[in-house]
Amino acid sequence: MLKPSLNKTISKVALILLMFFFVSWQGAAQQEKLSDNFSNNFNSSDSSQAWLAKMSDAIKSLNYTISFVLLKPGVDIQPYLWRHAVNEDGVELEQLNLLNGPGREVVRIGDKVSYFEPNVPPYSLQSSIINGPFPSEFFLRPEKLVSGYEFIMIGRSRIAGRAAQQIRIISKDKSRFGLNVWLDQQTGLLLKMNLFGQDAQLLEQIQVTGLQVTKDPDPFFAKIEPEMLPEVVNTSSSSQFNSPWTIGYIPAGMVIVKRDLRRLTGSGDVVEYIMLSDGLVDVSLYLQDKQGNNPKDNLVGTVQSDTLLTIEHGELDITIIGKLPAATANAIATSIQRIN
Amino acid sequence: MSQKFENLSALVDGEDINNISSSSHVLDAVKNDADLQLKWERYHLIRDGLRKELPTFINFDIADKVAKALESEPVIFAPNRTWRDLPLVAKVVPFAKQGGQMAIAASVAVAMIIGVQQVNQVDSDQPFNAAAPIPGIQGGLSPVSFDQTRTKPNSDLVDQKRRINTFMTDHKQQLRFKTIQLSTNETAILDKSIKKQKAQPDIVETIPQ
Repeated sequence: MLKPSLNKTISKVALILLMFFFVSWQGAAQQEKLSDNFSNNFNSSDSSQAWLAKMSDAIKSLNYTISFVLLKPGVDIQPYLWRHAVNEDGVELEQLNLLNGPGREVVRIGDKVSYFEPNVPPYSLQSSIINGPFPSEFFLRPEKLVSGYEFIMIGRSRIAGRAAQQIRIISKDKSRFGLNVWLDQQTGLLLKMNLFGQDAQLLEQIQVTGLQVTKDPDPFFAKIEPEMLPEVVNTSSSSQFNSPWTIGYIPAGMVIVKRDLRRLTGSGDVVEYIMLSDGLVDVSLYLQDKQGNNPKDNLVGTVQSDTLLTIEHGELDITIIGKLPAATANAIATSIQRIN
Repeated sequence: MSQKFENLSALVDGEDINNISSSSHVLDAVKNDADLQLKWERYHLIRDGLRKELPTFINFDIADKVAKALESEPVIFAPNRTWRDLPLVAKVVPFAKQGGQMAIAASVAVAMIIGVQQVNQVDSDQPFNAAAPIPGIQGGLSPVSFDQTRTKPNSDLVDQKRRINTFMTDHKQQLRFKTIQLSTNETAILDKSIKKQKAQPDIVETIPQ
């Protein structure tokens, strides 16, 4: 009477132990791999790096039409259409279209990206990526995340009716949000992406609802007349300036990608602007001389999925906006000091 | 016994996916074996738990247990006559019941008012949660009075909102005008340790199938 139930308990415990052992072994193996160079790790065909490389390659080289929806807290669901093709000359063609309301259409031909938006005259930028609702830079250069993030292979599941590989990307020093991506088992294209915070709460979500990979480019691309696209706007600010401020703490993997003095369009205030990027999230820093004597409230909050922090620090009013935890934003802000 | 569990475990983990004949064999076994069916359910539950994908409410199948409990329940066909069925008592009891219900409804209403008040005090879903004011700053932990509340005029809030909007708009603008050149050498952006040019041909060769 006692023996079978005891047997069952033992087998259950053994199973759970085995599971834990397997998971921890996988994690250890993953860490070992990451300590090596990223590019040397394509030998094992099932590693997370190989999958991300496959994703990147597929996004750049396949002809596909993807429908997806973007979900953010506090705003309505946003449906998008995303097409990509490579023409016979090897030039990449890409289109992103917001399907609700007046819409927003972006067309990329090679290194020229044209934006058609309501209330703004159409313009073009010289760039290799579309600035859209998804982290385009991560799609094209996932290897940039190696220094700041850890990749964990989770396994298979079913997304949008297709077999998918799940990969979890977490910040090594917990200074940034984590990411769960599900890639199509067959093609490597993105099927789902979740941005999650410290308590695994969902901050932003992209869910693919339809995916078609075709042999030939979509007929839409044949209708584009490249000479009719708007002129390229030059955005690079050539003015070099020496800032009296230095940032003491920049999270691992983040670098300054932009730094200039500008006048804010809304208030007319002159601010020093700094953009930090780690290849997945972009963070804006605004340094401003303290305004007058009346103290302002320090403020921290979230606007949709962006964190906003405004604090007074020494002689400065510092504002930080971006998809990062408030604690990290605070650490960056309080580390800013005058160069001696 | 343990071998068949092992096969099932491998199938659930997706390890056996290439070996179609063996996986279909396991699937056939699962179809005909109630024991394996239970295991199937549990393995998936364990897997979801390990992946942190458990649903908020786990629906354990308790239909069997309820059915069993119902079987063992004695069946009562007609209620016994009690003192409540006497003519006079039967007329008084509904009044007493109604009074009781009124009392309950009233106390529920009171509880709701208190509850709503308490809920309203903490609203964590507000778009902007001002950080706890730093001691010393005006409007912080000062005693409440009509004067004190008036010295913090409404225009401050409006001003704050305007400031936030200015920064948010600029942040979005900056992201919109961000440009990246894949063809040129990314000097500052790209980590020096990563040899991208070398990596690319490798990617093509070892695409996981």
